[in-house]
Amino acid sequence: MKSIVSRIAAVAVVVAVGLTVSACGYNTIPTLEEQAKARWSDVQNQYQRRADLIPNLVATVQGYAAQEKNVLTAVIEARAKATQIHIDPSQLTDPEKLKAFADAQNALTGALGRLLAVSESYPDLKSNANFLALQSQLEGTENRIAVARRDYIEAVRAYNTALRTFPTVLWAKTVFAGNKPMAEFTATEGSEKPPQVKF
Amino acid sequence: MTLGLAAGLILGLAAAAFAFDFPALSGRVVDQAGVMTQASRNAVEAKSKDLEDKSGIQLVVATVKSLQGSDVETYANQLFRFWKLGEAKKNNGVLLLVAPVEHKVRIEVGYGLEGTLTDALSAVIIQSAILPRFKANDFSGGIERGVDGIISVLRGDAAEWQPKPKSPSNDSLGVTIFVILFILIIFVIIVFGIIGSRRSGRNAGRGGRTIFAPSGGYSSSDWGSSGSSSSGSSDSGFSGGGGSSGGGGASGSW
Repeated sequence: MKSIVSRIAAVAVVVAVGLTVSACGYNTIPTLEEQAKARWSDVQNQYQRRADLIPNLVATVQGYAAQEKNVLTAVIEARAKATQIHIDPSQLTDPEKLKAFADAQNALTGALGRLLAVSESYPDLKSNANFLALQSQLEGTENRIAVARRDYIEAVRAYNTALRTFPTVLWAKTVFAGNKPMAEFTATEGSEKPPQVKF
Repeated sequence: MTLGLAAGLILGLAAAAFAFDFPALSGRVVDQAGVMTQASRNAVEAKSKDLEDKSGIQLVVATVKSLQGSDVETYANQLFRFWKLGEAKKNNGVLLLVAPVEHKVRIEVGYGLEGTLTDALSAVIIQSAILPRFKANDFSGGIERGVDGIISVLRGDAAEWQPKPKSPSNDSLGVTIFVILFILIIFVIIVFGIIGSRRSGRNAGRGGRTIFAPSGGYSSSDWGSSGSSSSGSSDSGFSGGGGSSGGGGASGSW
């Protein structure tokens, strides 16, 4: 039957074209793009996790050091600002948005650092089991943020490189002409250091 | 083909990411700094092997001569990923890293164990079991107590502690069967196609064709498959199972 032969031929052509195209890196760009987006959601999740810890932390500190109102309010305000900014993965090509996000989160990091610093002068608070647990959770979250950010930066670098290097650049200029490089998540040196907690 | 390309890319990435000069994963205890006694090395190896046999969790102790200018968190995370501790799908690895020169210690926990060996529990183990002995220069004792603490926390999680059949070998068997079936099906289609075309004059109706059977949604998304399925059946060839960590755990200094 002719139709079967032609069907097989069609399948063969599709397979052959598929293999050739994939060998040229057609899939590379979408794959790397998705990876970078996934890494970004990790970053956001970890920041969210930190934000979720804060109400509990503030409540605990308040119980022992209510007079440190300024520091506590600063943390609450910084948290409110930071949680307002949410970046959709499709907006990752906008460096301004990313910078706004980073600035808000860094402000929160600073406020948290001050809170932990003043809590040093309250021995009862420092020996509170709940506070100690929260502190180690906060430290852990800051570390996870650092890891997630590093992974995101690596993923973006791979994606941006693919957009500009051969052979993937051929696809970047034709089929994926709409794909823009993603913004790297740069921050001022030192702000990524978690607040130091001494036991 | 794409796989090769992607693998090359990932390899390049990995090479770029690991800027450190890591020690080789020679066993469950890598005492590069040479601070442990032989007896305690053996004891920890035995405990770790027992843990992996029962639960699949890979627990590795490393002492390093230097953190190479990095902070302990970054170094521990990169080393964990370099060694790929834990099973690829479960990410159930734990690394106890000791840097005697820098006076730093860290418990780095794989993604899959973050819920059991939490940051807070890791911190408690470091503060109460490890640091007091490190302060007295008793590294062997501190590490042994730390390992005991980690194992007891992990043992508390009943689901993790159930004896399980080795899954990685089953997985690779499944993939092999799937691939063979796939090739067979394509072969059959082609053969039938040729037969069908030869019979084109005759009355070989549409009934004679094989239809692509939906091959039961087996998803082989095993991204760590390139590595090893040797999940520590014997200690001679101990290697990581492909797990990763996202920075869970806790650190301490003395």
